[in-house]
Amino acid sequence: MAASPSRRSMSKGAWIGLTLGAILMAAPLVWTLLLSIKANGELMRDSGTAFSPPYTLENYAAILQGNMVFRWLINSVIVSLGTTLGVLALCSLAGYGFARLDFPFRKTLFVFVLLGLAIPEQAVILPQHRLFADLGLHNSYPGLILPGLAGPFGVFFMTQYFRAIPRDLDEAAMLDGASRFTTFWKVLLPLTAPAQATLGVFTFLGTWNSYWWPLISATRGDMFTLTVGLASSQMNYAQTSGLGFLMAQAVFASIPIFIVYLIFQKQIVGAMAGAAVK
Amino acid sequence: MIRPARTLLLGLAAFASLLGCSRQDDRTEIYLQRFFGECGAVYGAAVDLSAAEGECGIITALINRFNAENPDVHVEVNVVAWPGYPQLAAQLAAGDPPDLVTMHQDFIADYMTRGLLEPIDPLLAQAGIGPQNFTAAARRGVVKGGRVWALPWDTVGGLWHVNTRLFQQAGLWRGGHPVFPTSPEELIAHARQFRARTGRPYLIQSQVNDPATHVRNFYTFYLAQGVPVFPQPNRIRLATPEAKQVIEFLRLLNSEGLSTRDQDNPAAIASFMNGEGGVFPTGTWMIGNFQQEAETEGRPLHASYSVYPYPRLFGQRPTPVVGGHSWVMPARERSDAQRAAIARLFRFMAAHNFDWSRTGHIPAFQAVVDSPEFRALPHRTNIAPLAETGTPFPAVKLQGPIEGLVGEEISAAIMGQKDVDAALRDAERRVNELLAVSF
Amino acid sequence: MTGPGVWNRWGGFAFVAPFLLLYSFLLIYPLINGIILSFHNADLFGGQRFIGLGNYRRLLGDPIFHQSIFNTFKLAFIIVPILTAISLALALALNRPGRTPAVFRGLFFSSSVLSVTIVTLIWRFILTPDAGLMAELLEAVGADPIPWLSHPDLTIPALAITTIWWSVGLPMMLFLAGLQQIPEDMYEAAALDRAGKWTTFRKITLPSLKRTTVLVVMLQTAAQLQIFGQAQLLTAGGPSGASRPIVLYIYEVSFGRWELGYATALAEMLFLLIIAVTLIQYWTGARGQER
Repeated sequence: MAASPSRRSMSKGAWIGLTLGAILMAAPLVWTLLLSIKANGELMRDSGTAFSPPYTLENYAAILQGNMVFRWLINSVIVSLGTTLGVLALCSLAGYGFARLDFPFRKTLFVFVLLGLAIPEQAVILPQHRLFADLGLHNSYPGLILPGLAGPFGVFFMTQYFRAIPRDLDEAAMLDGASRFTTFWKVLLPLTAPAQATLGVFTFLGTWNSYWWPLISATRGDMFTLTVGLASSQMNYAQTSGLGFLMAQAVFASIPIFIVYLIFQKQIVGAMAGAAVK
Repeated sequence: MIRPARTLLLGLAAFASLLGCSRQDDRTEIYLQRFFGECGAVYGAAVDLSAAEGECGIITALINRFNAENPDVHVEVNVVAWPGYPQLAAQLAAGDPPDLVTMHQDFIADYMTRGLLEPIDPLLAQAGIGPQNFTAAARRGVVKGGRVWALPWDTVGGLWHVNTRLFQQAGLWRGGHPVFPTSPEELIAHARQFRARTGRPYLIQSQVNDPATHVRNFYTFYLAQGVPVFPQPNRIRLATPEAKQVIEFLRLLNSEGLSTRDQDNPAAIASFMNGEGGVFPTGTWMIGNFQQEAETEGRPLHASYSVYPYPRLFGQRPTPVVGGHSWVMPARERSDAQRAAIARLFRFMAAHNFDWSRTGHIPAFQAVVDSPEFRALPHRTNIAPLAETGTPFPAVKLQGPIEGLVGEEISAAIMGQKDVDAALRDAERRVNELLAVSF
Repeated sequence: MTGPGVWNRWGGFAFVAPFLLLYSFLLIYPLINGIILSFHNADLFGGQRFIGLGNYRRLLGDPIFHQSIFNTFKLAFIIVPILTAISLALALALNRPGRTPAVFRGLFFSSSVLSVTIVTLIWRFILTPDAGLMAELLEAVGADPIPWLSHPDLTIPALAITTIWWSVGLPMMLFLAGLQQIPEDMYEAAALDRAGKWTTFRKITLPSLKRTTVLVVMLQTAAQLQIFGQAQLLTAGGPSGASRPIVLYIYEVSFGRWELGYATALAEMLFLLIIAVTLIQYWTGARGQER
C-alpha cells in the first residue's frame, strides 16, 4: 500500500478542527439549500424565514418546466465531456513526451508551454473571439470545446506525474522490444489513473463552470451552456424578487458535477488503495 | 412486407420536412434579442396580454400574440442575461448582431456615435408613428441629432416610495398626501421630526454596492440647478459649488442618522416592506412588488403605501433623472421584407404600450399616459409627471463608463469615505482622461 | 535509452505535436495579436491607430492601475499561504481509508464544484450586513452588523474568505495524489526508528511533498493573480476600487469602454508579472529537486 499512514488514529484536536472546518464548509451550502426551498415572496420580506417552514419545491418545478433547460444541460454535458476527453488525450501524450522522450528543443518547448499558465483569460479572450469569428466557429460545439484544449495546465500536471514514475518500468518494457507508443499505452498510462481522474475532474469542472467564453461565443439561446442559460433566464432584480429561484438554479446546476465527483471519487480512492508503485 | 411500410414512412417524413421547410421559407424572420428573463414555463404560448403579469410575462405574451396575428412573419426570440451588453459587443465585433435588441436609452449614444445602429425614422413613418407620439422624456431618450435611434418602450425612473402610515404618525400629512420638503433644510427638519415621532429613520436607502442610487440622487438634485455638466462635448465639469452642496447634503443625511446606511438593495427592499422607515427612494420597477404588499392583509405595508416623484429640493424645476428601455436596430444587412416586418412590429408594440405599463414603468407614448386606463392603475396619477419632466443622464458618449466613474467617486464621498472636494476633482479628472483617449 | 537515431531524436515530437499545434494556434496566436493590439489605440469594433508605447506610458501613470496591482498582490498574498496550509492539513488528515474520511473529503471538495456566479451569490447572502446569514447570527448574539461588502478595509478580506472557501477542494486533491506517491517503506523505516509524529512529518512527508507543494503554490498564485469573478460580482471592485483586482480593471476597460488597445496593454503587464512570479517560484522550488 502506498497510502501514507501518518497516524493510526487522529488526535482529538485534529478531529475537532476537522469538524469545525466541516461546519464552516457546509454552512453556506445548507443556507443555499434552505433558500432554494422557500417561496420568493417570503424571502423578499426577510431572508431569515429560510430557517422556518413552510418550505416548497415550487422553484425547482419552475426550473424543470423551462423548455430550454434540458437543452442547456445537454450542451454543457457535451462541451464538458468533449473538452475533458480531449484534454486527457492530448495532455497524456504530451506529458509522456516531455517527461520521457528526448527531442530537440524539449526544454525550450516545455518552458514555452509553461508560459501559457501565466496568460490571463482576459488577455486573449477578445483576440480569440475575433479568430473564431473569422473561422465561423461561434455558436457551435467545436467553438466551445477547442479553447479548452489549448490550456497548458494539463500538460504541466501530466508531465510532473510521468516524471515521478520510476524509469525502470520503461526500460523493462523497451528491453522486451516495445515501441515508444506501446510503452506509453500499455505500461505507463495505466499507472497514471489517479492523475487522469484528478485532471479529468479538474477539467470537467472548469469547463462546466466557465462563463465568459460561452457567454460571448454561444450567443444563441439553443447553444447556451447551463451556466449561461440559467443566468439568462433570470429576470432583472432577480436577487430581490427571485432569490429562492436563483438558489434553486444554483443547486440544479451543481447536481451533475456532484454526480461526476462522486463517481470519480471512488476511482481515486480505489487507485490510492490499490496502486502498487514502489 | 416491411419494405413498403418503411418506404411509406420515409416518404411521409420527407414530405413533412418539406412542409416545414417551405413554411419557414415563406415567413420573414426577425431575430429579436432581449433580457427580462425567461418564463416559457408559464407563458410559453400565451397570447392573452391582459392576463400576463410581470416584465417577462407581458413581453412574452406580446411577441407570441404578434407572431399569431402575423403568420407571414416570425419573430425569433433570444433571451440573454441582463444587461446583455457584453454579448452584444461580442456579436457586433463578430459582425453578426441581432435584428432588434433591448437597450437602455442611456446607452444608445455610445453605439450610435460609432455607427453601430440604424436610425428607425423611415420604419416609424411606415408604422404611422413618430416622435410627436412619444412622451417628452422618451423623446429625450431616443432622439439624438434630430434622428430617432430606437423605439422607446418605457421610462424608468427614481421615485419616492412612501410609508403613508408612518408619515401620518410623524405629522407630515395633509389633504390625503404626504408633506414633502421643498429645500434641503426643510428635509432635515422633517427628518428629525419624523425620527422623534416614530423612532424610525426618515429614509431607507440602498447604499451598499449601489453606486447607481447615489448617481441618480446626485444628478436629480444637481441638474435642477442648471449648471451644465458638459460645457464642451469632451469635457466634464463637476467640481462646482452646487455639486459640493448636493453631496454634502446627501452626506449629512448619513452622518446625522436620518437614513439607513448599511443596506444593499435586497436589504433595503425588505426593510421598507417591513415598515421600518418613511421613504425608500428607488424606482418604478418596485411599484408592483410594493403594491402587492399594500394589498395583503397582515403585512406591515398593508394600506400604507403610496409613491411620488422626487421632491424638488434644489433649483427651480424638478429634473428627475430617468432612463428607459428601448428597442434598437443594430446596423446590419436586412431585406426590405424584414424592414417592413419590423415596422409592423413597431406599430404593434406602440399599440400595446399600455400593457407594458402594468409593470410599473411609465409608458413611452403620450396617448397612453393620458389615457384613463393608465391613470386608473394604482398610483399612476401621482407619478405621471415623470413622463414630462424625466431627464436623461447628461452624456454625449461613454455613458456607461462615465456613470461608473462618477458613481464610484460620489459614493465614496456620500458614505464619508472620501473628502468631497477630492472626490469631485478626481471624478472630473478621470472622466476627462477617459474622454481624451476615446475615439 | 537506445533506439533508432532518427526516431529517438524526432519521434518525441509526435507525442507533443497535437497539443502544441492547438496551443500555438488557439492561445499563442491570439496572445501575439493582443500584444500587437496593445501598441494601438484600438476599439472593439475595428477602429485602429498605431501609437507605439502610448498605452504603456499611460498605464505607468495610471493610479487605478497601480491600485489594482496592489490589490491583486494583496489578495494573492493572503489567499495562497492560507489555502495551501489548509488544504495540506486536510489532505494529511483525510488520507486514510474508510467511510468517514471519504464523506469529509467529499464535503471539502463540494464547494469547488460550484461556479463563481453561484459562489458569489451564496456569499453575498452570508456577508451582506443587513440580511445575510452572518448578520442574522450576529443579531442573535446582540452584536453590530459587519459591513463586509462596503468597508474599504473589509472588502479584500471578504473576497479572500470567499475564495478560500471555494478553492480548498482542488489543492486538497493534489496533495492527496502526492501523498499517495510516498512509498510505504519510508514510513515503516521511520516507525522502526521510533520517530515521533512531528519528526516523521518534517523529515519524510514534507520533503516528499515538495514537488506537489511547489505545484500547488504556483498554480494557486497564478490563479489568484487572475482573480476576477468574485471581485466583479461580490464587491464590484469597491468601494471606490478598494477591492478591484487587475483583471476586473481589464474587463471594465475592454467590455465597458471598448478600449481594446489599452486593455490588452494592461493584460500584457499582468502576463509579464505572472511569468516573473511563476518563474521565481519554479526556480526556487526546482532547486534540490533535479536528480
